[in-house]
Amino acid sequence: MSESAIITTNNVNLWYSDKQALESVSMTIPKNKVTALIGPSGCGKSTLLRCFNRLNDLIDCVKISGEILLDNENIHATGTDVVMLRKKVGMVFQKPNPFPKSIYENVAYGPRVHGVKDKTELDKIVEQSLHHAALWDEVRDRLHDSALGLSGGQQQRLCIARTLAVEPEVILMDEPCSALDPIATAKIENLINLLKQDYTVIIVTHNMQQAARVSDYTGFMYLGKLIECGKTVEIFEHPKEELTENYITGRFG
Amino acid sequence: MAEKFHSELKNLKTETLEMAHLGRFMLRTAVDALIRQDPNLAETVIARKEEIRQMEIQLEEHCYQLIALNQPMAKDMRVIACTLKVITASLRIGRYGKVIANIVKKISDLPHIANLMSIPHMADLVIEMIDDSIKAYENDTIEMISDFSTRDDTIDSLRQSIFREGITYMMEDPRNITRCTNYILVARYLERCADHACKIAENVQYMHTGERIEIH
Repeated sequence: MSESAIITTNNVNLWYSDKQALESVSMTIPKNKVTALIGPSGCGKSTLLRCFNRLNDLIDCVKISGEILLDNENIHATGTDVVMLRKKVGMVFQKPNPFPKSIYENVAYGPRVHGVKDKTELDKIVEQSLHHAALWDEVRDRLHDSALGLSGGQQQRLCIARTLAVEPEVILMDEPCSALDPIATAKIENLINLLKQDYTVIIVTHNMQQAARVSDYTGFMYLGKLIECGKTVEIFEHPKEELTENYITGRFG
Repeated sequence: MAEKFHSELKNLKTETLEMAHLGRFMLRTAVDALIRQDPNLAETVIARKEEIRQMEIQLEEHCYQLIALNQPMAKDMRVIACTLKVITASLRIGRYGKVIANIVKKISDLPHIANLMSIPHMADLVIEMIDDSIKAYENDTIEMISDFSTRDDTIDSLRQSIFREGITYMMEDPRNITRCTNYILVARYLERCADHACKIAENVQYMHTGERIEIH
């Protein structure tokens, strides 16, 4: 990959107790691009995604070796502020998970935690974030209504707005459309395309057509290993590895 | 689902091969009719023009349906892309057969000039190229098409030679003009058929390796 890398992994191994879930994963994530991780269930793609903001730290039995660099700094180095890391590397999950609060409060929550108290500034952040998440026009008149009253697709975009509010560099998306209908999915996919102008997006998806549509780069994982990583158009037109070929043409998985 | 798709893809290839063989048959038979000056044989070629046209429509539709319903990727996508080109090339080859058959009907009443010059030999070489390109598509191999560039050069040289020879006979006797003009046209059609064989070969290469090549 010729673009400048925002994340680099060197020989990352991860174990859940005795079970090795990632094996010598080395890859680079280019800045301001969308990178998709694909592979059959249990291949380690979500585990790898969670490594990027150290979300696996929350699981007791996890052991990690190797190096993950964000902006050339090792995220496992002693003294790394994990809260700041997760501010830089935001995450959107499979199922929309808004807080049981108002739309406004959902977006303002993160900046508040990070010390923004001024109401005018918070208003600005909320509006900008909702704009960036392509949700502003749909919710501008009901900012103080409960977020739980939004549709699934709107809730997911609210979660994206909530992630954007703390100005991350990287947005991790773990199957962000799997619980959405095709119209809401199309909106999220359009949004991903817009987001890459300002952010780096890493998306895990089971839907290969979605990976092909939204990403610039694709990594194919199998049994904890990164089998092949390259430009999406090359992976889906003529992959180098037979295993990748067999997976994306539906011969297994 | 993938199994069903792959079995349909196999059927598509089998049907496309039938069309490719029909195109090849039309050309071969038209040239045979020309050599033997047999308008009845030429008629059998003309009679199949609608059949090959219908095959083209049905096979293209089959390709589009497979794309729309399965969103093929990688090798599967390349097989369909190559198949679409084979369909077009086969139709063109068949149509050139039909055009040559029409010429046969016009010039069968007078003896050949100079035993048709190099046309029979040129036709054999072109048919061999078509056969090899079809086999390469059928077996997904590229060995037999690796020398297509050289073979295409030979075909181009033969067309030029027939052109020069034809002009010479026309200058010798104006009564030769009709037949020699038609010989030159037949040589041109055969050359185009070799180009279509090259097109199939280029696409088989793409189907097999994912790399694009150009055969000049």
